[in-house]
Amino acid sequence: MYRTLLGIIGTLAVLFALVGLCFSSSREKPADFRFVNGSEPASLDPHLVTDQVSNRIVSGLFEGLTRKRASDLAPAPGVADHWEISDDQKRYTFHLRANAVWSDGVPITAQDFVYSWRRVLDPGLGSEYAYLLHRVRYAEAYNTFDGLADTLEQTVKPALAALRSEHAGAVSAALWQRFLAENQLHLAFKHNQDDRALTLLHQQEGPLQSSDLDYFDAAISKLASALRKEAAEAREHFGVDAGIFAVDDRTVVVELNTATPYFLDITSFYTAVPVPRHVVQAHPHDWFLPEHMVSNGPYRLAAWRVNDRIRLVRNENYWGKAEVRLQFIEALPVENTTTALNLYLTGQVDWIPDAYPKDLAQQLAQRPDFYRNPGLVVYFYRLNTTRPPFNDVRVREAFNLAIDRKLITDKVLGLGQLPAYGFVPPGLAQYVPPESHIHLDVERAKQLLAEAGYPGGRGFPKIGLLYNTNDQHKKLAEVVADQLRRNLSVEIAPYNQEWQSFLVTCRAKDYDMARAGWNGDYLDANTFLDMWVTNGGNNQTGFSSAKYDALIQASADVDEYLTAPPSVLAELKDQKGMDQLRRQLSAAPTPKEGVEIKKKIRLQLQQEAEALLIQDEFPVVPLYFYVVSGLVRADVRGFYSKLQPQTGGPIPNLLDEHPLRDIWRQESGGAP
Amino acid sequence: MIEEVLAVILGLALVSATAWLPVKAARILGALLLAAACVVVLRGKIDSLAVVAALGVAIAVASFRLPERVLRRLCFVVPSLVLLIFVTTLLMYHAPGNPFAREKVASPQIEAALRAQYGIPKSALQFFQIYMKRLIVESSLGPSVKVQGRMVEDLLRPAFPVSMALGLLALAIALALGLSLGVRAGLKPRSVADHSSMALALVGISLPNFVIGASLMIVFALKLGWLPVAGFGGYAHLVLPSITLALPYAAYIARLARNGTIEIMQQDFIRTARAKGMPENVVILKHALKGAILPVVSFLGPAAAGIMTGSFVVETLFGVPGMGQWFVKGAINRDYSVVLGTAIIYMVLVTSFNLLVDLAYARLDPRVKDGR
Repeated sequence: MYRTLLGIIGTLAVLFALVGLCFSSSREKPADFRFVNGSEPASLDPHLVTDQVSNRIVSGLFEGLTRKRASDLAPAPGVADHWEISDDQKRYTFHLRANAVWSDGVPITAQDFVYSWRRVLDPGLGSEYAYLLHRVRYAEAYNTFDGLADTLEQTVKPALAALRSEHAGAVSAALWQRFLAENQLHLAFKHNQDDRALTLLHQQEGPLQSSDLDYFDAAISKLASALRKEAAEAREHFGVDAGIFAVDDRTVVVELNTATPYFLDITSFYTAVPVPRHVVQAHPHDWFLPEHMVSNGPYRLAAWRVNDRIRLVRNENYWGKAEVRLQFIEALPVENTTTALNLYLTGQVDWIPDAYPKDLAQQLAQRPDFYRNPGLVVYFYRLNTTRPPFNDVRVREAFNLAIDRKLITDKVLGLGQLPAYGFVPPGLAQYVPPESHIHLDVERAKQLLAEAGYPGGRGFPKIGLLYNTNDQHKKLAEVVADQLRRNLSVEIAPYNQEWQSFLVTCRAKDYDMARAGWNGDYLDANTFLDMWVTNGGNNQTGFSSAKYDALIQASADVDEYLTAPPSVLAELKDQKGMDQLRRQLSAAPTPKEGVEIKKKIRLQLQQEAEALLIQDEFPVVPLYFYVVSGLVRADVRGFYSKLQPQTGGPIPNLLDEHPLRDIWRQESGGAP
Repeated sequence: MIEEVLAVILGLALVSATAWLPVKAARILGALLLAAACVVVLRGKIDSLAVVAALGVAIAVASFRLPERVLRRLCFVVPSLVLLIFVTTLLMYHAPGNPFAREKVASPQIEAALRAQYGIPKSALQFFQIYMKRLIVESSLGPSVKVQGRMVEDLLRPAFPVSMALGLLALAIALALGLSLGVRAGLKPRSVADHSSMALALVGISLPNFVIGASLMIVFALKLGWLPVAGFGGYAHLVLPSITLALPYAAYIARLARNGTIEIMQQDFIRTARAKGMPENVVILKHALKGAILPVVSFLGPAAAGIMTGSFVVETLFGVPGMGQWFVKGAINRDYSVVLGTAIIYMVLVTSFNLLVDLAYARLDPRVKDGR
């Protein structure tokens, strides 16, 4: 019997050894630089990825017309070695390098870029970041108008008919606004010049007449057919003779709708990189797996073993390979922060961005290889403005005034996070946030609450504070609930939901107060502001202001604003400043100076928009601005936690972005 | 909603009805289902007439030679699998969220484009149809949404040997440790050996494996530096995770073995063996152990299936690219195809191991005979 048992165990061991042989046979050269990447990238198709985890890899694999230089993340020559910009800044002519080739040796041509941008904008691809290219002429129409027309005709019109038959004769304004919100019609009518339709969109009181609804129904059809016409025109011209087109094999012309000061940042972004047409067409669904992948950046993909590692190897066909100094790079998708830190401490990895247990932050901050910077992320609570008590702006303001943010950043977080009194994080070049009305003022908060009908918190309903399941969010929710209880005598019950349920609850606006975080996609205040337009997908608070929508639209298209300012923007907070800028503009001697002044006008419009959020409407309670931090070995070079722009002093690396192209090791041996 | 519930009830009735199939029908149906399963699994390999013929012969032989128990089980398992897919689909669709929900909301048009690409319509019944069709016609478990460009089978195929190696090692450790502790304790109930073994087993069962794993990591990887902290590549990387994985199983096996031993030692045939003057160690090894491990054997079926499909905690803690993560990540991400793929694999493993255990039982215990 003992023998039988030994037999079983022996068999298991032999089986194990056999299985083990399958994967222990491969021996690879150790990588020169290894880092913890936090999780597995969803994809390595640069046109589909949207997150930092994928970005770290994809930016090492691909290069656009321009690229981000590590020292200041400013656009530097990429596949294009030089370019010309027209005086009105609406036409860019890029000249491609003669020696730019794909990693399989096939030359990169202007047609590759045309193909790639058409691919990103192809509605069938479903690229979430395609909107970054919408400033290119015809791009938005090509990308979205057909789909929008489909939605209008197939979903919205039947929904309107159903609404009318259900509430024959009298559709109340509340029902009407809910219908508009559910179908995101404010966004669909963005470009519409139809005044009566716009008035109906913002009708808040009184029932809608049958004639109004008839008119609106016809306006939807008109809009849909106008969209279809524009989409058809875009399909005919975009990539052929307008928007983006090839003059010859090595010259690409890009036309923009409006002057866009940050356009070269967009051409450096991964959404705008070229993809290898000859491979994508052969393997449309999995061309980015190692067995097919061809790239054009400093590295190429050597291996991608899911949940184990991604291995990059230097691309010997890269035009700038002389500047690429590492041979192999490995990225580990380690999700457990304790494990990540242990790997770093035992010398297995050289960089852990943000992936360490946050409880140890203050101890680790003492180490010389620890770095930290303000991040482009804001932590805030959404307030549901569609139902009591937060449909009253005084309650929203009271909550904003009753929270001691400094205490939270100093005592609870303690890594140098900044308390947030506004919504746009500091550090964005040029953008100066407006003065905020948010500060700690418990007396004023109590007074506001009393004015709203809850003197001393009496009669205030018990409300929930929703957060997605996470220890840190729980801790903060409890601190905030406690502060509100003590300062305003209101009862706040923190409760949590699993991530997906949480997203659904927020979208359905089925909460009172809900935790949120927002990280900027690009270095412009717009990435924090355009989310608050009426019924924007990321608004989720019910906050709606015609003035705010007009400000965002105006800052997106300054020219249109200057020729025909909408009536809601007749009186700005700083009307004097705007008048002055307009006078300067009409007196500007050259188009180039005119562009500079338009930049300032745009910034003022953005400030006015943020001012609405933090001086008047308070749809959110901003809490603090994140810190990005991590550990990196001392001998790693080309890694800039503080950026060194060519003019001015060092500025923080807000996105914690470190292009792999420029990273190298000082040969001093990276002992832990 | 009502239709869905009715469909599930009908499915359950059909599945249970297979128990009353006459012997001949069960044999034929079982062989046919076996053939169908073989075709689906081996589709890529079936490329010539010879293979088809060989398969046909094998199936014919199987229908006559395989024990009825196996064939009847097949009649039960294959429809159950379809039912499993159906019920899982319903549950997934009724859970809040969907595979395309992110913190940053994409436009409805983008979501529609992605749904079309991945074959994930808004209706559960349509999804079920698409999924079954793909499974049977293309032998594919469908594309993953969160690890794009790969089919679920491409994700699980490299992960399975990893989990299997880890699981086999863990199972060997668990058996060796659990049996020796359990039998030792069972031979002298209420002795110091018994109490100490059972206390150890209690610790093993109650300590969660992230505590065990982290402690082992601190001692053997960080302090002593004998073993790597995490990662995957060689045998050294398997030691700590397999011990972590094994300890709770070892503890459970020890308790089962102890109870089995105590029970068997009171049996008449043990007294007889002792009475005829057999040395004690022969009594234990030759007679007692065989009975004592019976409960352990029946536990081994589900245990083997569980241990070989990996563990989320152990895998993320030690950075092992095994199967366990997909069970959890699939659900968290609402990655429907991954959820279904792991559910199918798990069901196949559990039923196969249970069948193996049943067959082994018949050999170990003379009271259990084939067909009864």
